[in-house]
This record gives sequence, structure tokens and C-alpha cells, in this order.
Amino acid sequence: MSRVESRATPPSPEEEPEAAGPEKARTPVATGPAETRTAEAAGSPETRTPEAAGLVAAVAADGTRTPVATAAPPEDRTVPPVTAPGPPTGRKSAARRREALAGLAFVAPMLVLFLVFRIGPTLGAAFLSLTDYRLSGDWAFVGAGNYARLLDDRLFWEALGVTALYTALYVPMTVALALGTAVLLHRTLWLRGFFRGLFFLPYVTSIVLAAVIWKWIYEVEDGLLNTALGGLGLGPVDFLGSESLVLPSIAAASAWKGFGYSMLILLAGLQSVPREVTEAAVIDGANTWQRFRWVTLPLLRPVLFFVLVIEAIGAFQVFDAMYVMTAGGPVRASYSLVYFLYDAGFKFFDFGYACAVGLVLFLVVLVFSLIQRRLVGREVD
Amino acid sequence: MKTGFTRAAAPLVLLCLAVLAAAGCGAGGGGSSANQVTVWMYPVIMDPKANAAYWGGVEKGFERAHPGTDLRIEQQPWENRDQKLATAFGGGKGPDVVLLGPDQIPQYQANGVLRPVDGAIRSARAAYRPAALKAMTLDGKVYAAPIYHTVTSTLYNRRLLAKAGLKEPPATWAALKAAAPKLKRAGIATLDYSASGEASLNMSFYPLLWQAGGRVFDESGRRTAFAGPEGVEALTFLVELYRAGAVPRSALTNANLFTDQALGRQQVAMGYTNTPADAALAAQAWGSDNVIVGPALGGPRKQVVFGMPGGLGINAAGRNTAGAERFVAYMTQPAQIAALGRAGGFFSPRSDVTVPGTGAHAKEYEAALAYAFPGEPHRAARQLQALLAPEIQAALTGEKSPREALTAAAEAGDDLLARQR
Repeated sequence: MSRVESRATPPSPEEEPEAAGPEKARTPVATGPAETRTAEAAGSPETRTPEAAGLVAAVAADGTRTPVATAAPPEDRTVPPVTAPGPPTGRKSAARRREALAGLAFVAPMLVLFLVFRIGPTLGAAFLSLTDYRLSGDWAFVGAGNYARLLDDRLFWEALGVTALYTALYVPMTVALALGTAVLLHRTLWLRGFFRGLFFLPYVTSIVLAAVIWKWIYEVEDGLLNTALGGLGLGPVDFLGSESLVLPSIAAASAWKGFGYSMLILLAGLQSVPREVTEAAVIDGANTWQRFRWVTLPLLRPVLFFVLVIEAIGAFQVFDAMYVMTAGGPVRASYSLVYFLYDAGFKFFDFGYACAVGLVLFLVVLVFSLIQRRLVGREVD
Repeated sequence: MKTGFTRAAAPLVLLCLAVLAAAGCGAGGGGSSANQVTVWMYPVIMDPKANAAYWGGVEKGFERAHPGTDLRIEQQPWENRDQKLATAFGGGKGPDVVLLGPDQIPQYQANGVLRPVDGAIRSARAAYRPAALKAMTLDGKVYAAPIYHTVTSTLYNRRLLAKAGLKEPPATWAALKAAAPKLKRAGIATLDYSASGEASLNMSFYPLLWQAGGRVFDESGRRTAFAGPEGVEALTFLVELYRAGAVPRSALTNANLFTDQALGRQQVAMGYTNTPADAALAAQAWGSDNVIVGPALGGPRKQVVFGMPGGLGINAAGRNTAGAERFVAYMTQPAQIAALGRAGGFFSPRSDVTVPGTGAHAKEYEAALAYAFPGEPHRAARQLQALLAPEIQAALTGEKSPREALTAAAEAGDDLLARQR
């Protein structure tokens, strides 16, 4: 638990209904699940651990916060502190082993499906990338031949460049949009659920449908946007026909389609920022921007990291929007790595080569996630 | 204590068994049994109800004629046609019989997944139009038995031509160039074009190339030939029209459709690779009085349009090749060709069968059939299109001159052809 959170004071009675929810599920039994509680409760008003209780007392002794501390409802103090488990006896450890087995049995179906449908094909693709595989099922082992060819392929580097540029455009756009709407929603009390649903709606729309509609919006002749620009005496702008505008245009359409998911995650993150912390900042004289920049944002860091990684991975895998809106054009200005993979596999029937592209994409995403983890997620643990 | 494990064990074992059983069924159930024939068919008849009714009738008719055979015609979408077929063939689960176009044949033949149909069409062979059969022939063997013939031709919007004061629909490149300024003054583009990377060049650039007297591949099929003077002439013609605003700017993302494109929306006066189905849609959208179907567009060297036979190919690894051959023979009979032509608005690939014209413009399309060219079959035909299409875009946007664009595409194309196994 971080220092900021350890200053937490117990929730006021008005806040109690919300804060009480998860607590009721908690049992006083000091076994496995209880150990995970602390991690789960991180960021929520946690006052029940002995540590926190001690702090409340300290604050009370300080004299300044006493009324707040005593305002906690009585049942707060009825939850007994977590007791440390005694040394495991033979019977207990056997029981624990059985429990572990039971847990394993419960995840087994998922594990089997995951192995069969995810890990299996991935290993298969890794093997295929070392072969020259033909439609008839004949294949020949070519070692690293496909990878060597890839390094020499101008199209591959072009597609990688396009994908990187798209990611650089899409991720900040989406995360800014998601964070902005999440902050607004967090402050909105009126019809919050309605707006949340409204903003989430594009996310559950089919990307193909969204892309077709955005294609109409961007159209040069009689497109919605160009008609509007024409009204202002501007344009027409060839959004999808210009090599410099096509990626920002597709990224904007995809951001509109995709920000809802990140918005929900960030909203949940915002809601778990303890109110006491921001209240303390108010008392310290911080204005709205300072509170957001120096209190909320640092606490949102783990959530933000998650969102950035997820969106970046999604951006690296972009295909559908480009397939529908531009078919990779003009002049391959929107020809992404996955499009290149698709063409290699299904237009050129070069399955081994396509698998090599897939594995390279996997490595790129992996390295990118690790770098991001270092940069953004430094203090996550 | 009865733990969760003991309680959960029985249902979990059952679940695992069910999953394994389902996986096992999946692995074994893909192919057909000895007396079953599976066919992959596409919505060749545009009206879904008519399509279902027609192929349902074929199933019943064939099973009646061949008792004991279980014919299963599976309807597939046109979208990602090769992707699905390649995946199925690659996984050893291809259908026994599949509908193929001439340009699909070389790549599948080269991969050894097709079996010649010469045996199945022994009795029909002499009756076929030579061009239809030639389009499906490779190394002296026929790989798909033609069951229909498509054709495209010019399609004009009479109202828009009249608005620009044009009395005659422009039928040649020269007439088209002369008409463009007049149409522009009336605020109308002249020629619809599809330059999207997913648009088949058979319906966009290649007809212009052929009209200029050019070819896609050289005689040997080992090198590309489109970057010659004829190709440059064709691309220059197109680029000049585009620069002058005579080809709409939406051309860059257009994909050989009618409805959602400038022609369908009455923003452009004519198309030159439109099907009878397009003409029918145009009649609905513009009113039948406004639809003119003209002869094949004439270029500086030739008058030619794209039109190709559709045929049935047989899976070399199918379990029931005898049944597949019987089905192909059944579908190539005069009665079936006439029935399919009537239902789908197609023309007959057999010279001894004439499909009674049902469409309003059947006569014009029948006339265009004489100029129909099925494209240049090559195992790398589709791949080459993926290399050429972006370069045509580069010429249209002005990034490259027509000659530079075609030369760049030819270099990449020759590399591709040299890499062919």
C-alpha cells in the first residue's frame, strides 16, 4: 500500500452504502482468499486492516481529524482483524492440496481450450514460418529463409512504418478521448449510466459497419464532412485519397469506434481513487488541474498502463478499418502489417511467409509492451 | 470434508469428454462420405430467394437422376472467396466440386488441388464456344466445365448525357475525351473507375490495356508485358481524365460496385465494365428510360470488354470424384445451362444453347458477348494485381508518371514471376 493511501480516513456515513458493498463479502476466515484482499482493496477506502486502524488512531490523537474518525459506523469495528495462520498441520496441508487440485480442476476446461485453440496454433504458426507450405499440403523445411526474405522485403518495411505511424496516431488519440470522457463521466452525476452506455455504444458496433459509415462521412463528393466544410467555404478535402491524411483519418474513425472500452476501464480507475486523497489535496490548496495532474493521474498510472498496452496492441493489429475504407491505399499509405500478412497468406498463398510476418508482429508487440512497461508502468509494482 | 474437487470431478470429466468428442467429430466430419457430393456455390443468382430455389431444384433433380447420391450444395459468399477456398484446400477439407473463374484456375492447378474435368464433359465438349473452353484450359487439360458466361459492357445515364447536350453516347476513347469537357460544364463526371486495391483489374485497368492493344503477360507467361507503350497509353488516357475531373476523385476507394459508387448515385455519366445486373439496378435507381446499354468500348486498337465463363472444378483430393464428375456432367447439359442462364441472367457458354433473353437489355449484352475477353489466365494473375493496383493509384495521385508507375509495377511483377515455383 502506498504512502498516499495510508493517510486514508474512514468513509463518512453518506459514503458507506457504496463502500460497504465489497466488504460484506468478506469473511473473517484467515485463509488463502484473505491474503489477496489487500491487493484487491488497494485504492479503495480500506480501513479494516490493523495497519489502517492504527493510522486512524494516530490521526485521532493528532486531534485534527477526530470527528471524521469517530463518524465511522459501528459495524466497521466489528470486523475482527486478520489473524495470522498457525503452522500448517499434516491434515491442513492435505486439505490445502485438495483445494489446489480443485482449483486446477475448475480452470482445467479453460486451460485445455486455451492450449488447444491458442497455444497450439501459435506453436503451429511458429513451425510453419520455417517452411514453404503449399495449398496441396506439401511442404519443405526452409529454416530461416522466410525471415531472411522478410528483412529484404521493401513492402514489409513500408507496412511496418505505416503500422508504427498509425499506432503513434491512434493510441494518444484514443487514450486522450477515453480519459477525457471518463473524467467528464466521473464528474457527471446526472444520467451517468445513460451517457456511459451512449459512449460505449460505438465499441460494440461492428468495425466494418463503422468503417463503411466513416467512409461515407469522409467522401470527397457529397461526404458529410466535406459538405460541412463546403458550408464554411473550405475544401473539398480528400481525406481517404490523400497519402498524408489517410492515416489520421482512419485513426480518428477507429478512435471513435474503440475509445469506449478504455473509457470504462479508466472510469473504474477514477472511481477507485480514494476521495480522501483529493479532499486532502483540496485542503492543501490544490486547484482542479493540480489535483488531476498530481493526485489523480499518478494514482491512475496502473490503469493507464493497462489501457495504453491494450490499445497499442490493438493498433498494431489494425486491419479491418483499412480493408474496408481504403483497401490499403492510396499507394499503400494505409497498408498495415496485418494487411501485408493477409495478402501474403490469402492473395499470394505464401503461408510460411505469412506465418513469419505473424511471428515478427508478435515480437514487435512484445518488445513494445515491455518498453511501455518500463516507461509507464515503472511504479506499478 | 467433501472438497470442491470431489464435487466438481464428475461434471468436469463429462465436460472434458464432450469437448474431446466435439473436437473429434470436427476432425472427422469435414470430408464427404462415399456417396455424398459437396458443392461450393456462390450467389450467382442475385436474388437470394431465386438463388435458393434454383439450387434446391438442382439438388432434387440430380438426386432423382442418380439415386443413392447425396448432393449437398453449400452456398458461400463472394467475399474472401479465394481466402476460404485456399484455407479449405490447405486443410484437406475442400468441397468435391467448386465454382471457379478462369483466373482462379492456374494458381489452384499449380498447387495440385484440381483434377481435370475432361472426363466429365466428354459429351458436351464439341458444343462449347471455343473461347469459353479455352479460358478454362491449361496445359491441354480443362480444369473447370463452363456452366454460364458473363459479359460486361458500357452503361450510360441518358438524363446526364442530355443535361450536357450530348446526343450520342460516347463509344470510343476519342468520343469520350471529346465529351468530357461538355459534361464537366454541366457539373457531371464522365467515366466511372475503380482504383481500390481490392477492385479486380479485370473490371478496371485491364480492359483499357486490351483496348490499347496491350497484354498483361508476355507470350511465355514468364514476364509482365503491361509496361509497354500500349500500357502507358492506356494509363495516360485514364490519368488525363482523372486530372481533368472526368473520372471522379472517389475512384481511389471505389471497388467495382454499382450502388455505392458515383455511377449509381448519378454523379458520373457512364461506366465501361458494367454487368446486366448493374443495368437492372440502374433501371430501378434512375428509371428504365434513363438506362442505355451500349456496345463494348472501343480503344485505339481494339473494341473489347471483360466477360468470362464460370465453371465447375473438381477437387483432386475429393473422396467422391466419380460422383463429382457425374454432377459436373449433369450441370453441363443444355437444359441446365438454359435454366441457370434464365435464373441468373447469364449467357450460354454452349453454342447450341441460347438463353431466352429476359432482361431489358439482353440483346445489347448478347452483342457485346462477341467482344468478350476472359482475361489472361496465369497462376500469378491475382497476385500481380496486388502489385499493380497501388502503382495505378500512384499515377492517379500524380506521385508517379504513368510510365514510372508501370515500370515500378513491372519490376515487382517480374520478381514475383521469377519466384513462382
